[in-house]
Amino acid sequence: MKRIVSLNINGKPVEDAIADNLLLIEYLRETRRLTGTKQGCDGGECGACTVLINGRPRLACITLASTCDGAKIETIEGQGEGGRLSALQRAFHENLGTQCGFCTPGMIMASEGLLRQNPDPDDAEIKAALGGNICRCTGYVKIIKSVRAAAQQSAGAA
Amino acid sequence: MTKPRHFHVAGTPVPLVDGLEKVTGRARYTADLTTDDALVGRILRAPRGHARIIRIDTSRAKALEGVRAVVTGADCAQSYGVIPIAMNEYPMARDVLRYRGEPLAAVAAIDAKTAQAALDLIELTLEDLPAVYTAKEARAPDAVQLHPDKQGNLEREVHHSFGDPEAGMAKADLVRDEVFSCAEVNHAQMEPHAALADYDPERGHLTFHSVSQVPFYVHLTLARCLGMEAAQIRVVQPFIGGGFGARTETLNFEIITALLARAAGGKVMMHLTREESFLTHRGRPQTDVALKIGMTDKGKITAVKCEVVMAGGAYAGYGLVTILYAGALLHGIYDIENVKYDGYRVYTNLPPCGAMRGHGTVDVRHAFECLLDRMAHELGLDPFAVRRANLLRAPTFTPNDLMVNSYGLGACLDKVETASNWYNRKGKLPPGRGLGMACSHYVSGAAKPVHWTGEPHAVVSMKLDFDASITVLTGAADIGQGSSTIVAVAAADILSVDMSRIRVIAGDSALTPKDNGSYSSRVTFMVGNAAIEAARALRQKLVLAAAKKLESLPEDIVCEGETFSVKGSAQSMLSFQEVALAALAEEGTITVKGTFTTPIKAQGGKHRGGAVGSTMGFSYGAQVVEVTVDIATGLIRIDKVWAALDCGFAINPLAVEGQIEGSVWMGMGQALSEETRFVNGLAVHANLLDYRVPTMVESPDIEVHIVETIDPLGPFGAKEAGEGALSGFPPALVNAVADAIGLEANFLPMTPDRVLEALIKQRRAAKRKVAS
Amino acid sequence: MSANLPEFNLVKPSSIAEALAAFRDQPHAKFCAGGTDLIPNMRHGLFEVETLIDLGQIVGFDAVTINGADIELGAGISLSKLVGRADIRERFPAIVKACEKVAGLSHREAATLGGNLCLETRCLYYNQSEWWRKSNDYCLKYQGDICHVAPRGNRCRAAFCGDLAPAFMVHRAEVELVSLNGARRLPLADLYVEDGAAHLALQPGEILASVHLPAARARSTYGKICQRGAIDFPQAGVAVSCRKEAGVLQFELAFTGTNSKPILLEYREPLGPKTDADSYFEALEKQVQKSVSPQRTTTTAPHYRRLAVAALAVRLARGLV
Repeated sequence: MKRIVSLNINGKPVEDAIADNLLLIEYLRETRRLTGTKQGCDGGECGACTVLINGRPRLACITLASTCDGAKIETIEGQGEGGRLSALQRAFHENLGTQCGFCTPGMIMASEGLLRQNPDPDDAEIKAALGGNICRCTGYVKIIKSVRAAAQQSAGAA
Repeated sequence: MTKPRHFHVAGTPVPLVDGLEKVTGRARYTADLTTDDALVGRILRAPRGHARIIRIDTSRAKALEGVRAVVTGADCAQSYGVIPIAMNEYPMARDVLRYRGEPLAAVAAIDAKTAQAALDLIELTLEDLPAVYTAKEARAPDAVQLHPDKQGNLEREVHHSFGDPEAGMAKADLVRDEVFSCAEVNHAQMEPHAALADYDPERGHLTFHSVSQVPFYVHLTLARCLGMEAAQIRVVQPFIGGGFGARTETLNFEIITALLARAAGGKVMMHLTREESFLTHRGRPQTDVALKIGMTDKGKITAVKCEVVMAGGAYAGYGLVTILYAGALLHGIYDIENVKYDGYRVYTNLPPCGAMRGHGTVDVRHAFECLLDRMAHELGLDPFAVRRANLLRAPTFTPNDLMVNSYGLGACLDKVETASNWYNRKGKLPPGRGLGMACSHYVSGAAKPVHWTGEPHAVVSMKLDFDASITVLTGAADIGQGSSTIVAVAAADILSVDMSRIRVIAGDSALTPKDNGSYSSRVTFMVGNAAIEAARALRQKLVLAAAKKLESLPEDIVCEGETFSVKGSAQSMLSFQEVALAALAEEGTITVKGTFTTPIKAQGGKHRGGAVGSTMGFSYGAQVVEVTVDIATGLIRIDKVWAALDCGFAINPLAVEGQIEGSVWMGMGQALSEETRFVNGLAVHANLLDYRVPTMVESPDIEVHIVETIDPLGPFGAKEAGEGALSGFPPALVNAVADAIGLEANFLPMTPDRVLEALIKQRRAAKRKVAS
Repeated sequence: MSANLPEFNLVKPSSIAEALAAFRDQPHAKFCAGGTDLIPNMRHGLFEVETLIDLGQIVGFDAVTINGADIELGAGISLSKLVGRADIRERFPAIVKACEKVAGLSHREAATLGGNLCLETRCLYYNQSEWWRKSNDYCLKYQGDICHVAPRGNRCRAAFCGDLAPAFMVHRAEVELVSLNGARRLPLADLYVEDGAAHLALQPGEILASVHLPAARARSTYGKICQRGAIDFPQAGVAVSCRKEAGVLQFELAFTGTNSKPILLEYREPLGPKTDADSYFEALEKQVQKSVSPQRTTTTAPHYRRLAVAALAVRLARGLV
């Protein structure tokens, strides 16, 4: 069955007829062509599909799109403004928090969720928030550094 | 707004040239390519471990509405494999299937549901054969034979002896031997496998996108298996979500996707699940290492004997190279005259193994560094001292004719010894905590590629046009390691131009020069050198044009920071654009190329298999690992790692650090928690819950120290940086655990259950000792 | 249409009454809360349903009601919200500790208390793809005849692996179950049955509506045996509470990951000022080893899980003294 679902995706209100069994990741990638959100596992095991739903990090690969009716969805494509990078995107870029880049969108979105709740996290808090996001390239050292750098930059800007 | 401009970028930290795409989600990986008009491909996989295929009936599947193509082993009778002398695999099994998960048939349909329904309609008639799942079972006298031409299921045995191992052992004051067993591991790159094949039946052209590290080999294999001319195929490489060796040979699903596209006369998108990606495998094999070392009481190694048995899975793949590497890289790190090596690569009814980061060396290095530590302990020598007693002196050739031109192992030892405060802390930590160290090395590209054609090992082209921009064309596959960035840095540095003037186009057989691919840490060394040569050629043209315009001699032209001037007179200075246009006026659009060919003397010994292990230069690493062991639960916590690596020269120190951190950490995964597990040949690890890639929570801080020895052949003096540190971690960990709790473990990974079991055994043994 | 999930209809009731009514109309429906367990299982083809009743839209399903010293938690409260509650953290520390150890933060944002308490049991022969299970001739839990863990037994040995149940059990939580027949309340321990294929005492159409925590009289903690610091289900987990009565200490322990249901151990031996602590805890450790019976449901050996969880239990208990 399909139903009309209203969503706000990266600041843009949209309405779509969505099949009941459609996963949010399928909706984002296939219907909306927002392929920044990645599928890295067979369901809920790697964090690559992390997006923000109403400001909180969630796994798009185990979320039904039609349960998000009325929700505000943010993906990697909606970060930054006017073509400029967000603080986290810049920090991941400049500190090599990304290598192959496949975990990066999920990692940045999970970090974004963290920094909105806790603008100045320590390493333990970063680890607790990003523990469900697997990266296979970096050993996480430069990811942690990137999140810290973004937090510092945001603090400096504020 | 003007940005500060840096012209001498080699040696300075540079973000990835394709990093912006990655952090913004704009990077398109294979699965992200637009597929409105693509059919969905799905693969039917073997439900049994070893069976004769009596019949595969696809008639009902073909008849299903929405199905556009069904293919089976009957549709491809051309075997393939990465090693020309060992091509014994088919994209889909023919006659006999040899592991659970092997592709048997495939379907292209209008959507996933139809494709799956079609797979369910394919009828299999199989006749089970006995199966062997371990090297021991496979080597048993009465074992079933997997391949008719491979007696005893031996894919390859290697027997190498250098110097006089017997005499060396006789000279030793201490001889010890141990057997180490290391579990099989998988790359688990974050991007599941995928391929997109587009066949145009009118033109007879195939356009192919895939996740490969070796688009060139894929190109050759597609031509072979589809019976097409290579000229009719175009292989394009999108963004690649990691490799680590998983994609270093053409994989069955790639050929299957192309077969489906041709059969359907259109476009087929194939996404493999994470489970299927694990089943495609090509990981590091389960390996048993029986090692014997002779040593003087001062710690000098007098002889080494090593026997290695690898359970390689059902097909050859890279197997013979892996078993040769394992022996060859006993050399090249320490000064050892007498070495005997016996290697056995064995077929089993499991997914085929292949190359994985640190190819062939990791488990042998593990055994070596563990035994070295134990012997040092027995002789009352410090672990650092015993390594220092065996250092090489560069330049030199090893007994198996490996060339060593630069050698920074001693400096690496100094760095991590100081940084970890080893002298003041080793043996002085509270109970349950310990320090351990180990050394490692790895090749900077194989001096002889697996496809030996006589061509240069790498070619890079550069184009300078009316806009004064420089386009660099390389076939090198950027799999996240930053090869495109290295190429850009090399070009910018040599031409003394801003990075923004340079664009890198990589990995498209229609545009870029052929490259062998991203494996054996060859790209920075070979492609880097080719890029430097191309940039020099371009620079020379610019210098000539500038000299003409400035009415001076070329040797007097200074090219610096996008300006050209005559040495000693700065008043008549030309901009880069002016000189570029002057050069173009001579000949129009300028294209140059640079190549790199490995010197003959780097290509290894004359003995059989002597090319494997040969390289232009080795990276060297030393690391110290600090652990805390919970003896009640067996859980090991890594508190800190200090890692030093001699990478010759850090062209991009940011990327070098990232590579070292990543490889140390991947070694940690293998050492602590990662392993494949099978129940009757069925993979029970084929997901990211049971295959335990470490999370951020238990991952330690890794302090990196870069050692630069400026290799005479390396680009800017650089050697490899992406693999060498991996194999140091597992032995450093086991040595640290020995320091912490006195447990000498001969197994990997050090999972809590194995640690606890070993502790219980150790306590029982101690009790028996007291009782007797 | 999804490429990864079977087809089904989603019903989104806004009250429990509507949810119950929806079930009455679709008796083969399944209830779904956060979906962090159910959706991956569905992706693996572990069940098919015609109708999924999403409890996520029920108004007030995540309410927290304070009745004096008692706390009533709506079953729909997310684990993240539970972690964020200072009163729970202060009075029922085991619960917050257990929540924090579930999977990853993104899971905990969606996962609910009720969902975790009703978590499907797990087994390496069950939590596999359709291809895998078919290749292995399925198993007793789903579509097959034998339990590959214990082929001679007559029941499914899949293990209950929820982190929260033991933490609530040592705080003597009760659950409120509602159905069209009314409501009933039972001790949390009674929600579970030692059968991996049918481990919940829920009747068809019955919903776990809320959890009642009586006034905290014990200090508590939770720990789990697992290799990684996140993502992993417990290979074994233990909650311990310690209360002081008449000058002596009493321990209650509850375990997860070891059996098809969470196991409660009300340890009767008191620890007094004159008790030899070492021999007391040695006896406790032995008792724990006897109380749990891990099976070959994971790749980690049962024997190890038994020893490790007992050692962990004693460590946690000592920490509460």
